[in-house]
Amino acid sequence: MKEEKSDKPEQAASPFMAMFEGFRAELDEHHDRRERIIKASRDITAASKKIIFTLQRVRALGQSVPPFVVKGNAQYWEIIEKQYQHIAADVQGLNAFRYPQITGGNQEFMEALSFHHYLETQTLISYDDAKNRVASMSGSAGAVLLTPEDYILGIFDMVGELMRFSITAMATNGKLPAGKPRKEAKATHEDPEGEDADKMDVDEETSASTPAEKPRNVLSDLRALRLQLEIFEAGGGKFGADVRKKADVMRECVDKVEKALYQLTVRGTERPKGWVPDVREERRPEVESY
Amino acid sequence: MSAPSGMIDPAIFEGLQTKVDEDTAVRDELKDIIQALEKQNRNISFVLSRAHSTPYADLPSVLKASEEHIQNAIETVSKLAHAASKQPYYKFNGMWSRQVQDALQGILFWAWLGGKDYNGNEAKCGRLLTLEELGEVLKVPTNLKDRDEFHITIEEYLIALTSLVEELTRLARNAVTLGDYERPLLINQFVKDVFAGFQILNLKNDILRRKSDGLKYRVKDVEDVVYDLSLRNLVPKKGVTIKEE
Repeated sequence: MKEEKSDKPEQAASPFMAMFEGFRAELDEHHDRRERIIKASRDITAASKKIIFTLQRVRALGQSVPPFVVKGNAQYWEIIEKQYQHIAADVQGLNAFRYPQITGGNQEFMEALSFHHYLETQTLISYDDAKNRVASMSGSAGAVLLTPEDYILGIFDMVGELMRFSITAMATNGKLPAGKPRKEAKATHEDPEGEDADKMDVDEETSASTPAEKPRNVLSDLRALRLQLEIFEAGGGKFGADVRKKADVMRECVDKVEKALYQLTVRGTERPKGWVPDVREERRPEVESY
Repeated sequence: MSAPSGMIDPAIFEGLQTKVDEDTAVRDELKDIIQALEKQNRNISFVLSRAHSTPYADLPSVLKASEEHIQNAIETVSKLAHAASKQPYYKFNGMWSRQVQDALQGILFWAWLGGKDYNGNEAKCGRLLTLEELGEVLKVPTNLKDRDEFHITIEEYLIALTSLVEELTRLARNAVTLGDYERPLLINQFVKDVFAGFQILNLKNDILRRKSDGLKYRVKDVEDVVYDLSLRNLVPKKGVTIKEE
């Protein structure tokens, strides 16, 4: 480091050199931290995408994900945990909000976490649970902060995954995924799904006392999400702009499921009962993941 | 308000909405202070720009006229520091860093013109306030690392410093117009010294990098002024600070 000075005698003469050397050391530290965080954010994003990809092969709702998913995704959860631990020390105290570069990774992880949580419980993971999850993954150096903004933007993206999940399920099983009925409500299997979903909003508002009576399906959950996300006021600034952008995509996603369900309802009756379109193609990636 | 399903616990979004609304309220509070600072910065720069058309001997009048505005800015920065320190520093600092840089630049220029050490005699030009000294003038901490409070950062200081160099480049030419051949030499040395400092920094692609990239052109601009003077034998003999190459 000192050699640099002797190269240029003109520099050594500057009375400000000592001051700038101090700045250099600190700026270098800052840039190192920032680079570590950018890299961690990318790795977390990539691993989260892979988790989501595997989760899209799940067909059942409201129960633990199948062993092939647990097994296949274990390595990615591990990567994410390792990355959070790697940068935890860099984002403590004063530096907690200094590196917004982590937000990309946080959002993608939020998407994976909430999708996984939804598939297993058919509920939306709470902000506090999600935040605590990231904190618990961050290790002993202190928590990496998952901000409310990260959470909300991640949930917006999760709507897209629920859309894909729904469409795939409709294409392969010919019906919209729904939770397990607590009572033996066989009716859902016979009734056209469309009617079911349409009634859902009205039904549950009036008879909220018996929510377990009829299992919710993905579309009713998507509508609930849409409702909450639409009435959410994000305010101005970058977050507000991000929310407005994502809100358009979110609405399209819900629309897509509604359209697909419409088609299924209209044309579904023309199909022979039990006709399943091309399941083999869907199985292939499942086998690969073992 | 509650969703028509058990999918979402309504408390989730209620809680988030509260958090986001709180941040909006903080922004509104800060915005008022920052706007006040912006106005005061304009006043400082308005008064100090008279230095470009004021002969060296009359500089004290410019410094005197700027005092009130600088004092206002100092008070506003204290107010900002008080309000901002209730929040995590880096959560909102993007809101004011531009205005703080402008305030720093104003004070750096004022101090360079001799405002900091002015004792009633002739103003003595050429002083660079350090980051710490700036903090003392503004009565706020600088370059904090151990606690999360309002402070002046290294980056803000360095960016203000590049603005100072731009201002001085302009002053070098204007001094010549005023018949002052000495200050261009002083500025030449000063700008070179600052530039030498910037050269040892490892800058990334950010605003500081872009700002510091412009410095070499300012160095050249001032050198051109000095060259013009020396070509015409206008360089004062006593100030042999410049070594001809």
